[in-house]
Amino acid sequence: MAAYFMFELRRLVREPRLFIFTVFMPVISYVVFTGVGDMRGNTEGVTVAAALMVGLAGYGAVAGVLSVAGGVSTERTSGWLRQLRITPLRPVGVVAVKGVLATLTAIPPVVGVGIAGRLEHHVSLPLDRWILLVLVMWLGTIPFALLGLAIGYVLPPQLAQPATFLSFFSLSVLGGLLVPVEVFPRMLRYVAHALPTNRYAELGWAVAGGHLPTALGGTVLLGWTALFAALAAAAYRRSAATR
Amino acid sequence: MIDAVKLSGVRKGFGAVRAVDGLSLTIRPGQTVALLGPNGAGKSTTIGMLLGLSAPDSGTVELFGTTPARAVRAGKVGAMLQDAGFVPNATVREVIELARALYPMPLPTGQVLHTAGLAELADRRLDKLSGGEAQRARFAFALAGDPRLLLLDEPTAAMDVATRQAFWAAMRRYSAAGHTVLFATHYLEEADDYADRVVVIAHGKVIADGTGTDIKRMTGGRTVAFDLAGGGTAGLDLLPGVRAVEVRGDRARLRSDDSDATVAALVHSGRSFTNLEINSAGLEEAFLALTGA
Repeated sequence: MAAYFMFELRRLVREPRLFIFTVFMPVISYVVFTGVGDMRGNTEGVTVAAALMVGLAGYGAVAGVLSVAGGVSTERTSGWLRQLRITPLRPVGVVAVKGVLATLTAIPPVVGVGIAGRLEHHVSLPLDRWILLVLVMWLGTIPFALLGLAIGYVLPPQLAQPATFLSFFSLSVLGGLLVPVEVFPRMLRYVAHALPTNRYAELGWAVAGGHLPTALGGTVLLGWTALFAALAAAAYRRSAATR
Repeated sequence: MIDAVKLSGVRKGFGAVRAVDGLSLTIRPGQTVALLGPNGAGKSTTIGMLLGLSAPDSGTVELFGTTPARAVRAGKVGAMLQDAGFVPNATVREVIELARALYPMPLPTGQVLHTAGLAELADRRLDKLSGGEAQRARFAFALAGDPRLLLLDEPTAAMDVATRQAFWAAMRRYSAAGHTVLFATHYLEEADDYADRVVVIAHGKVIADGTGTDIKRMTGGRTVAFDLAGGGTAGLDLLPGVRAVEVRGDRARLRSDDSDATVAALVHSGRSFTNLEINSAGLEEAFLALTGA
């Protein structure tokens, strides 16, 4: 399984589109967004500059993690996963490697946008808090990796791509990753607080602000994780049965 | 000695279609066996069950005395599937190294590359390979782990003539080392040339099982075809060696066990005929003969 992990990791690193969408775009967006407004205010318990840093890092992270859907869908229909199934590699191991690698794509955007925040707006945190931030922004993507696997195992490539984009776009905009939830109309604010993206970013805001995330937030995120895990398991079983 | 492959009374259907309909087949270790049949005969379905990719509706499938899933997990089986694609952003060498890492006792990388004729393509990206090259890479992936049983589903489908010959030469080297090979094909010639044993299947059943020569003999040898040039068809079926007569428009096609005797008698009969052709029976004719249609 280590060999398969390394094989897939190498392929991931060689994918230039992934880097553009998950690191380059969020960093540029961060620099542009924070260049025009007043950054001195506070939101989510931190400065606006820090809040947007976490938001855009999360935006890039979710984009990267969900891209596992397209990969799985293509590999499933092209027959590559079938080819792997007739080797001694455990089928469940393949899913695990795919999922873990998907979450790892969350790290470059968090580091990239973090550096931009530090350089551009002097967002300063103690080193251990920076490390903790990367850690929670990484592990917090587990529900999105599960959602990506569910989409990839159930939809063909021509549908997996739009489904991924739609999930990513609606979850990140409505979840308040690009614009603070504070400025949302009241109804939309309730929607935002129920979404996994918002509760994922909340973990980052809490670390940046030096306080604990709310119990409600953790519960919401765990609920989504359980739901997406069930969907991914069902989708995987369905695809294994038909092939 | 434990049989490499043992199928007993296997049935498998997809909706109303009976893809495999009571198939029984035993293969001893070291044999090279061709599974010969037209498209839709049940070859790919059979191979899928041998690999544990699908389960039979009834009957049993065993590889080396155990279930296909266990045999696959133990690294005893390698396979080349018809619809197995590769992934982008990886090279031929990397995918072979991956296969080697997955099996307990792999062959050296250099030997795999050489056997599959990929030595010069080792550092090429998989998505840059031509159809025939990709097919050779699939072969390399299947044999890298040095499995005891190799299953090949129409392995030469995307290959040109030169590649095809190189492929079969590679296969011969592999089977000479005492490995068991089962390959599916719809070319009678391929089956005859490269297999010790030819198993003919149609409509999901074994309809003939023997050496290539046996099968050829059973399929009614040759076809003698000519234009009737106005002559009647009466008595054609009485010519020596003729087993079946088919007339399309003005052209008669006689299936014959002894084409020499048939043609000699045709000439002596004083019938008018033009455009005489004698051909080996194609697979189509062979199947008609074997299935008694």
